[in-house]
Amino acid sequence: MAKKQLVRVKVNGRERQAEVEPRLLLIHFIREVLELTGSHIGCDTSHCGACTVLLNGKTVKSCTMFAVQADGGEILTVEGLIKDGQLHPLQEGFKEEHGLQCGFCTPGMLMSSYALLRNNPKPSEEDIRWGISGNLCRCTGYQNIVKAVQFASGKAAQGGAK
Amino acid sequence: MIHKTSPDVGGMGHSIKRKEDLRFIQGKGNYVDDVRLPGMVYGHLVRSPYAHARLKSINTENAKKFTGVLAVITGDDLAKANLAWMPTLSYDKQMVLATGKVLFQSQEVAFVVAEDRYTAADAAELVEVEYEELPVLVDPKKALDPDAPVLREDREQKNNHIFHWEVGDRNATEQAFQKAAVKASVRAFFPRCHPAPLETCGCVADFNRATGKLTVYMTSQAPHAHRTVFALVGGIPEQNIRVISPDIGGGFGNKVPVYPGYVCAIVASLTLGVPVKWIETRSENLQSTGFARDYHMMADIAADRDGKMQALRVKTLADHGAFNAAAQPTKFPAGLFSICTGSYDYPNAFCEVDGVYTNKAPGGIAYRCSFRVTEAAYLIERAVDVLALELKMDPV
Repeated sequence: MAKKQLVRVKVNGRERQAEVEPRLLLIHFIREVLELTGSHIGCDTSHCGACTVLLNGKTVKSCTMFAVQADGGEILTVEGLIKDGQLHPLQEGFKEEHGLQCGFCTPGMLMSSYALLRNNPKPSEEDIRWGISGNLCRCTGYQNIVKAVQFASGKAAQGGAK
Repeated sequence: MIHKTSPDVGGMGHSIKRKEDLRFIQGKGNYVDDVRLPGMVYGHLVRSPYAHARLKSINTENAKKFTGVLAVITGDDLAKANLAWMPTLSYDKQMVLATGKVLFQSQEVAFVVAEDRYTAADAAELVEVEYEELPVLVDPKKALDPDAPVLREDREQKNNHIFHWEVGDRNATEQAFQKAAVKASVRAFFPRCHPAPLETCGCVADFNRATGKLTVYMTSQAPHAHRTVFALVGGIPEQNIRVISPDIGGGFGNKVPVYPGYVCAIVASLTLGVPVKWIETRSENLQSTGFARDYHMMADIAADRDGKMQALRVKTLADHGAFNAAAQPTKFPAGLFSICTGSYDYPNAFCEVDGVYTNKAPGGIAYRCSFRVTEAAYLIERAVDVLALELKMDPV
């Protein structure tokens, strides 16, 4: 076993650190070392997007990168979307528009949509479909996921979100 | 005037919000890989690279010596405890870990248990298995050839035929075909497809030596059936087994059959006295767990010149892979005959299905609850279209 390395990250606003094997995948670091099990493992190959988190503001598929690569970085996971007990407009949108069924893809969908709305607060339907094209929903509820993102976008336009 | 309740009261005219959504949108779901018990260890399966091969030898010494490894279980170990085979949900049995030979690519050969999942995967690579390749059968038609190699040597019946099922009136149907003015035929192949739920299969088996009770957390669509199978295989009274099916990341039929990984995790927990987690990778899920379809179907319709249908004949060759582990509520391909004959007025009908073994992963599950309904509906509608073409009539 290779020598363990110290990884320091800021996760959902909180400083965390741990000594890990250099080969430890970021998703295992998040789920098993930091014990944030909201992000999921669906395919191990960066196809499905269930493990999507934000690293330094950009979406990454955390099953296909090492924890050591995130050292010094800032991570946002699904657990960090809620602010002061208030659901993020995207979370409200998923709930209101029935944007989920089994819920397994949902954390990844939320994080990809979050990044999309930050760069493009008023996306067209096509923009949204592009924005979530790296995320698979096997319940195939895409229509309502698109509506959920539109809900959040509309709410933000009314000044309901940052 | 339409009376409508207020949103607080809900009811007619209001959409119903799901109770589980609040957890799922905040990352507070509880799927099987989220279950973490004190002292829990991890299992990893060694799988066959060959679709059909005799097992010459398995050397587990290096794997057992690897730091962090707690146990390495092989089919021979299981056979000593009479655990090498398990019943399927379709009146067949399936190898838990291979003994004698392997029958499909990625079949389960050994189970390595270690302190963490990376170590278990490392040590699995140290298990040395010597195989002698055997001829591979992937075509169900060839599997029925008289000189085809017999795949399932454990059976008394020395061929690859699993079952024959028929329903309807064969003679009356044949007679109607002999007299028919017009006939339409369709030959259709419904290839294998995999349900591929986003969450793969897996479990945490927790046998408590003090109470003699087994708790299995598993992503299961059939927890009661699984409990019965675990009782039959493990010899633990059914009332001492509790199956907890937490949040499920999709199933679509894939999580109905019993898989060897579950039994291996249970055996490991019985042996070690600690909780054992086993979670598939996506590749394992696609290669070794329940497929749907793989049906070769033929439909013939006999009709009069004016379009009045006189008879329907359906013949199906069903490729069920190496073990007949199909999940269905009855012995027969449920719903098939009802769907074939359901939409049109056939005075005579006959339907038959033959199931065969091939060197493929066990299949025949009900993808998205189809129970062969999808296959039958498509076949019949195609056949009616062909008949309409023959009759130069509008198919609609």
